[in-house]
Amino acid sequence: MAPTRRWRAAAAAPVAALSLILAACGGGSDSADESGSKATGIFADAPVAESLPEGSTMAEIKERGELVVAAALDAPLLSQQNPTDPDEVEGFDITLAKLLATYIIGEPKVKIVPPASQTREAMLQNETVDVVFNTYTITEERAQQIQFAGPYFLSGLAIAVPKGNPEGIDSIDDLAGKQVIVGANTPAVDYVKEEVPDAELVTFDTDPQAIQALAQGRGVAYVQDYLLLATDAATNDDIELATGALTAEPYGIGLPPNDPDFKTFVNEWLTKIQEEGQWAQAFEDSIGEVTGQDAPDAPEIGSVPGS
Amino acid sequence: MEAITANSEQLLTAVRQTLLIAGVSALGAMVIGVLVTVARISPVPILRAAAFLFVQYFLNVPLLALLLLAVFALPDAGLVLPLAPTVVIVLALYEGAYVAEAVRSGVNTIARGEIEAARALGLRFNQIMRRIVVPQALRAVVQPLGNIAIALLMNTALAATVGVAELTDTANQLNNSAAQPILIYGFVGLCYMALALAIGLSAGRIERRVAVRR
Repeated sequence: MAPTRRWRAAAAAPVAALSLILAACGGGSDSADESGSKATGIFADAPVAESLPEGSTMAEIKERGELVVAAALDAPLLSQQNPTDPDEVEGFDITLAKLLATYIIGEPKVKIVPPASQTREAMLQNETVDVVFNTYTITEERAQQIQFAGPYFLSGLAIAVPKGNPEGIDSIDDLAGKQVIVGANTPAVDYVKEEVPDAELVTFDTDPQAIQALAQGRGVAYVQDYLLLATDAATNDDIELATGALTAEPYGIGLPPNDPDFKTFVNEWLTKIQEEGQWAQAFEDSIGEVTGQDAPDAPEIGSVPGS
Repeated sequence: MEAITANSEQLLTAVRQTLLIAGVSALGAMVIGVLVTVARISPVPILRAAAFLFVQYFLNVPLLALLLLAVFALPDAGLVLPLAPTVVIVLALYEGAYVAEAVRSGVNTIARGEIEAARALGLRFNQIMRRIVVPQALRAVVQPLGNIAIALLMNTALAATVGVAELTDTANQLNNSAAQPILIYGFVGLCYMALALAIGLSAGRIERRVAVRR
């Protein structure tokens, strides 16, 4: 009955191997995208700026030879790392970023730094990145911290529900008093709070987590960007869209504060690719492929408060 | 500063939620840790093996992986628990493994002769544990347990990733509209620091009060 005092040494080797495997699963997210250096397809006849003012931000970027972009790696159609070729990032946002790189440098060379959406303002303020292409909704509060060029796209929030719509939800008011799933740091957080203050918010960091949570009944509905939900619903049998877009979310290009010349420059570029057709082409190659739509009219630059 | 002052009520609720999660899981972790330690030094080989595997599993799988498994995989197995209790259970199990390791080192401070004397007096295993081993072991490891409590407090921030509205999650929500990450996360960091400092200082006081003088 004596309590034994013999401690066995931990089986260190298999345990260490396991933690290595786990560590490897999470790695590689800060990869640089260097692959788009050949000017082909849409980039072949994309506009290139004729001259860059001496000492400007644009000239510095050209000197460096690559545009540092904060962009997601997990947003389907907008900015998604290709699962079969991790060096390749595809989508509307990232095509525009490469077009901007082409305009400044002459080649579509970008380095992607995946932002946490919590830190986008800080990344611009401390010059970690040159620009943010990250479904970055223009708001007046954010515009006090940084600058927005654009808007370059208008989207809106919509509601997704489990297949069959068991709760019969067809408007935002139907969410009153219910548990509602929203993406962390998306405009949905404020929108749901304002429209139905007594709804209980459940936030998840990533879209796949939120979809899983919706399918498992952790909330009656999931409020998120219409485009994202449309893609999700097309690939996932457990959920469906309950509404169309309920709001107008203007997406802007985040730029460092106190650099009005850079903002003017990016807005000029945006006008140019809208006129020359690359904007519409980028839309049709990405979002248009799923929704089957032709490119809509581009939003008017500077048309929303904060831009 | 306005982003903080205008939302002080929401932040206060969030601090309370964080403290609640940390407090309940700390209690759970203490109970689990002591039971696992007793199992590890018990004379029953199966109990010893099970306790060893428990500790190794929870020491070596990252907390985030455990949380995501509990939140997203258990429902697929038909077990849907509300989010906050899920987080508390996972935290209690995870930190319980660390408590067990700390308490085990406390057990090592007890002289072999004390246990031999207890056996000579005819005390049974559970009596020896209850009256001699566990009380002395716990007194010897107050400071390490305080450190585990601080680690547990910091780890509650991971609850934000699975949608529990605690301090970090609230900071995310406030930052979303105010767009002042440095101010908001700086402030929230100070909140965590103050709470951790309180735990550390009280662990020091408790340690001085309960220390076994030999």
